[in-house]
Amino acid sequence: MKNSSLWLLLQKMRVPFIVIVVTYTIAIVGLISLDGITVDDKIYRMTIFDAFYFVTYTATTIGFGEVPYTFSYSQRMWTSALIYITVIGWFYGIGSLLSILQDKLFISEIKKTAFRKKVRKIREDFFIILGYNNVTKKIVGKMLAQGYRVVVIEKNPDRVNELILENYVPSVPVLEADIYDPKALELAGIKSKYCKGLVSLFENDNLNLKIAITAKILNSKIPLAIKSTTKHMTENLEDLGVEIIENPFEIISQQIQMLLTAPSLYKLTRWLYGMGDLRASTFNLSKGKYIICGYGRMGHEIKNVLEKNNINAVFIEMDATKKNTFSKKEQGEILFKDADDKEVLLQAGIEDAVAIIAGSKDDTTNLSLLSIARKINPKITTIARENEIENQALFNYSNINYVFMPSRLLIYKTIAALIDPIVDKFISHAIEQDEVWAKELLGMLKTKVGDNPSTYELFIDEDHAHALAERIKHREPIKLETLIRSRANRDEYNPIVALLLLRKDELYLLPDMSDIALEYGDQILFASHRDAIEDIEYIAENIHELAYVLGERN
Amino acid sequence: MNFDKLISGFFIILAMTLNFGFFYGDLSNIDLHSKYELFAAIVVNLIATTLKIGDKTQIGSVLLATSLVADIQLIAAATVWTIIYYTSGALDVHTTSIVISLSGGALLANITSVILYIGETIKSKR
Repeated sequence: MKNSSLWLLLQKMRVPFIVIVVTYTIAIVGLISLDGITVDDKIYRMTIFDAFYFVTYTATTIGFGEVPYTFSYSQRMWTSALIYITVIGWFYGIGSLLSILQDKLFISEIKKTAFRKKVRKIREDFFIILGYNNVTKKIVGKMLAQGYRVVVIEKNPDRVNELILENYVPSVPVLEADIYDPKALELAGIKSKYCKGLVSLFENDNLNLKIAITAKILNSKIPLAIKSTTKHMTENLEDLGVEIIENPFEIISQQIQMLLTAPSLYKLTRWLYGMGDLRASTFNLSKGKYIICGYGRMGHEIKNVLEKNNINAVFIEMDATKKNTFSKKEQGEILFKDADDKEVLLQAGIEDAVAIIAGSKDDTTNLSLLSIARKINPKITTIARENEIENQALFNYSNINYVFMPSRLLIYKTIAALIDPIVDKFISHAIEQDEVWAKELLGMLKTKVGDNPSTYELFIDEDHAHALAERIKHREPIKLETLIRSRANRDEYNPIVALLLLRKDELYLLPDMSDIALEYGDQILFASHRDAIEDIEYIAENIHELAYVLGERN
Repeated sequence: MNFDKLISGFFIILAMTLNFGFFYGDLSNIDLHSKYELFAAIVVNLIATTLKIGDKTQIGSVLLATSLVADIQLIAAATVWTIIYYTSGALDVHTTSIVISLSGGALLANITSVILYIGETIKSKR
């Protein structure tokens, strides 16, 4: 049976219901077997209906009086007994009903049923997000803004209430349940054909792994976005076939690498993730001596990057109890002292350092140690890790050169990977390029399509590009440049840059538009402004527009 | 011996027998059908229905359905009888046959219920 809340109610109401039936029967049988006296002093007996009527209003304490005739004493004696039996039976029934309606199990069943109905009603693409916190809150907002629906599972009732109070439009169904419970995942629609992905970004790696395993068993086709903070866990997730594995610390080391060697590339990726436009001033990390405060998972990643770039670095770890977890070699390289102290910073050589990275887990420590560092060495480049989104204002006002936030990067990367997989793919290939390539592309984008162009993905099939797909099926050679011609004048080109073309196993980075002929199933990523993108949409969808730009009609 | 089974079996079969007792007799003569027997049949049927609630198995759902059918038919018979009695004073042949045939329908549902119940009992090995 599907509606288990109704069954629960019926099952628990069995005894009260039987009690009511039995007490009514006793009362009725008594009434119909007793002699009464009519107004003419004749002896009569109540009919079954008379008795039923009398018991009905007596048991519910309504009390219409003695009908059809004034009662005899034998009837009155029985009535006093029946009032006690039936009223108690009736109240017991009502009391049980009320207590069941307040029963936690019953309420949670009702909520589950409502949740399942809401999820089943969703007829658009949606994502399942596990846990509702500052990070996933942003993801929910952005996904809704992009026109996707979201379903949330959260264990903490306070957080569930917080989500409900947020009043999202369209509504976000939320289930209060154990996050790794397979039944909860099923209720959330992991098997639905509209489910386009599942996001699990918990601090606890093992929890994430557990969720990945459960989700893969339930539906192996759904893309998973899972957070992992160690190499070992990443490998485990890869073995499971998880599509999107996010390591915030790896992302940060990637960003530092870009800042060191390819600032243009850094700007490009920021724009593609939607974190800023192409104008943003470049922030360049110079080479020299670095001081890194905090040597945890992130410290390790930073160390690898700096070593790769042959940069000298001094590491300071504030937690001396961690000392034993490092190897002998590491122990020699790391200062185990409180970095939030002038003497220690001087000892680390702050006076001739070019940059200091405050990467501890505590925002206050990070802020205060950077202000000390700047007092000693005003020219030093300051880089801070921001842990809590709430502290954003503090960091904005503190004049730090560069603030990075693992969770914010995670938000943008997850969204890009789930909603625009082709953008994510472009970024992952662009990162492998060098500064010259990035600078050239950046220059081209700026002159051709402006400072803050939009991206547009075209998928060549019947649903997304009807006119094009028809022609390509008939083996007509259509060049990529057809798409960027203007609808107003086919001899002119719209300012459009094709960033990437994906074709089954092939991948063309910045494809040559006059050279490449389109094929069925191609995915193309364009960058341009809104009007030009509209032209692409028209040409791809409309047979008349396509015929015009191909020069077949006027 | 299973006490729950004894109770529910008792009421299910009693519902059928009382129903039969009321139904048996000349279809056009109300004097051959006791109103007290109809009252008892309704009460026992209601109890039997309640006892069947909460069994989420396939057979349990069908058992509950037959019981609900019997309840509706018997209560309909009693209601028709009451309305006719208090509005026109006595039952004619036509209305009598309505009351009795309604209870006949309930009897069929009750018989189905008993057959299913016995079938389930035989099927279970214990």
